[in-house]
Amino acid sequence: MDRYSFSLTTFAPNGKLLQIEHALAAAANGVVIATEKKTGSSLIEVSSLQHMVKVCDSIGMVYSGMGPDFRVLVNSARKMAQKYRRIYMEDPPVRILVKELASLMQEYTQSGGVRPFGVSLLLAGFDDRGANLYQVDPSGSYFPWKATSIGKNMVNAKTFLEKRFNGEMELEDAVHTAILTLKEGFEGQMTEQSIDVGIIGTLPNAQDGGPTPVFQCLSPADIRDYLSNIA
Amino acid sequence: MSIMQYNGSAIVAMAGKGCVAIAADKRLGQRALTVDTEFQKVFPITDRTYIGLPGLATDVKTLYDRFRMRVNLYKHNEERTIEPKTFSHLVSHMLYERRFGPYFVEPVVAGLDKNDEPYICGMDLIGCINFAKDFIVGGTASDNLYGMCESLWEPELGPEDLFETISQALLNAVDRDALSGWGAVVHIITPEGVITRDLKGRMD
Amino acid sequence: MDAQFAISGRDFVISVTDKGVARSIVKMKHNEDKTWQLSSHTLMSVSGEAGDTANFSEYIQGNVRLYSMRNSQDLSPSELANFIRGELAAALRSRSPSQVNLLVAGYDKGKDEAALYWIDYLSAMAKVPFAAHGYCGYFLYSVMDREYTPEITLEEAKALIKKCFEVLKTRFIVDFANYTIKVVDRNGTHEIRQDEL
Repeated sequence: MDRYSFSLTTFAPNGKLLQIEHALAAAANGVVIATEKKTGSSLIEVSSLQHMVKVCDSIGMVYSGMGPDFRVLVNSARKMAQKYRRIYMEDPPVRILVKELASLMQEYTQSGGVRPFGVSLLLAGFDDRGANLYQVDPSGSYFPWKATSIGKNMVNAKTFLEKRFNGEMELEDAVHTAILTLKEGFEGQMTEQSIDVGIIGTLPNAQDGGPTPVFQCLSPADIRDYLSNIA
Repeated sequence: MSIMQYNGSAIVAMAGKGCVAIAADKRLGQRALTVDTEFQKVFPITDRTYIGLPGLATDVKTLYDRFRMRVNLYKHNEERTIEPKTFSHLVSHMLYERRFGPYFVEPVVAGLDKNDEPYICGMDLIGCINFAKDFIVGGTASDNLYGMCESLWEPELGPEDLFETISQALLNAVDRDALSGWGAVVHIITPEGVITRDLKGRMD
Repeated sequence: MDAQFAISGRDFVISVTDKGVARSIVKMKHNEDKTWQLSSHTLMSVSGEAGDTANFSEYIQGNVRLYSMRNSQDLSPSELANFIRGELAAALRSRSPSQVNLLVAGYDKGKDEAALYWIDYLSAMAKVPFAAHGYCGYFLYSVMDREYTPEITLEEAKALIKKCFEVLKTRFIVDFANYTIKVVDRNGTHEIRQDEL
């Protein structure tokens, strides 16, 4: 028991938690998530890194912590979403997916022979209740947010968001706010290669013109445009 | 004679203007022998979604019990009431789960969605959904019901006209079917609430 | 080829079963009681496949009595009927279905009224004023339809049962020598002899 401590903070072999900063901002008609693509070496091919994933058409997800653990959770989350779809023929509400994912993470804090997941998640989605932002922790607890940040420098980023965020923001403003938050305490030059931006917005559907949620990751070209507008 | 005809039944659903109706006969039989004349085959799922289950009586009860459980769980988990369309897909899924040992019912779903738009659909015994804008029929009198609905139904009927249309369609269809009839029940679902009326039919 | 039927009034149910047990062309027994006491105020009559009837009924009786002991409270007739139906329905789609036809007769002390449930071997269930299973249904439903009123008294019901016996004697090929006749009312369950009708 002395040699191995199975506390919630023991994740990496070297005892250090890899932290990447993320900023989120929910707007009235969507959610923006932004993340820094931190690498250990300048030799790594940055374009192949993916911190931001689509779970289903209406939900996207980012993480802070261990990449391999995150991929396991991505697989589970995508399967949960598809299982829900197979029963009800519609995407799960964000809260339902979050709840199920959180209960999986909770299970790994209590089961024998396993360790908890070494990641905190941020999920952004759109459903009947509108735009949603959730944080899920390794313990299995989850929180809905209007805007938040996790990972390295999260305290400063949250203080920044508290000042900048307001509920009537348009999606475009939210993208700017998210990037600006990320810029606070960003080490080195921020380029389209070094950050990821994902947007949950809505498009009118073909049948009745009602809002259909769409999650998309911005292309490097799009990010470059936003960055040049800020600078 | 197939197992679908063992107990006898007739169910019809119709869409109107901002309202829907679902009606069913009340007979329970064992082939030609009538056992009960107060047997219910239509059940409320939410305040504005009803399901009719024509077919084998044992499965009518078993399925209704299972639907009720699933919808209650949905209500607690999702903190919202299920939409008729979503419920139909749930029913379809639950029937197809038993693809190679099916429940012998052909469900008919009728309800108003969150925008007060009528929604009606029918299914076969393994859950293949048949969505219709006018009417859905099921049970041993379904051939007769098709004929009646085809000639009586018209678009944009208000609640009272819809009640008259669906009642006449059902009553006249079951009079020419030996396995269904013995009175009927009609539910008219409107945004203001559900009107339920019992009909007396030919009791022979 | 069993005789199994029942008539319910506002505050009583009379349950009738024949006492014969036959196998092939042989009468094995002529004093079998085909009713099962589930609680002080509920009774279940059973017919169907030889082994299944006893097996299923014992299982139900055991579980219902266990419930009463554990909870110091009896199940109401409707709760009982739904429980029995559920068990029979689960068995129906299992590898060991029970082929039994049931009539559940009870007196609901809470609602202060009698209840009669008809359940066939497929687990179709109906709450009915009067009921019969098997061939005798083809003879008795017409008699009961003609004579029954919801306000029927116990004495009238006894007379109706006598008429049912007459019809079976006259028109049914099987000759039932003896019947178990039991009455369920607010005082509980008691048996009456055929000559007491």
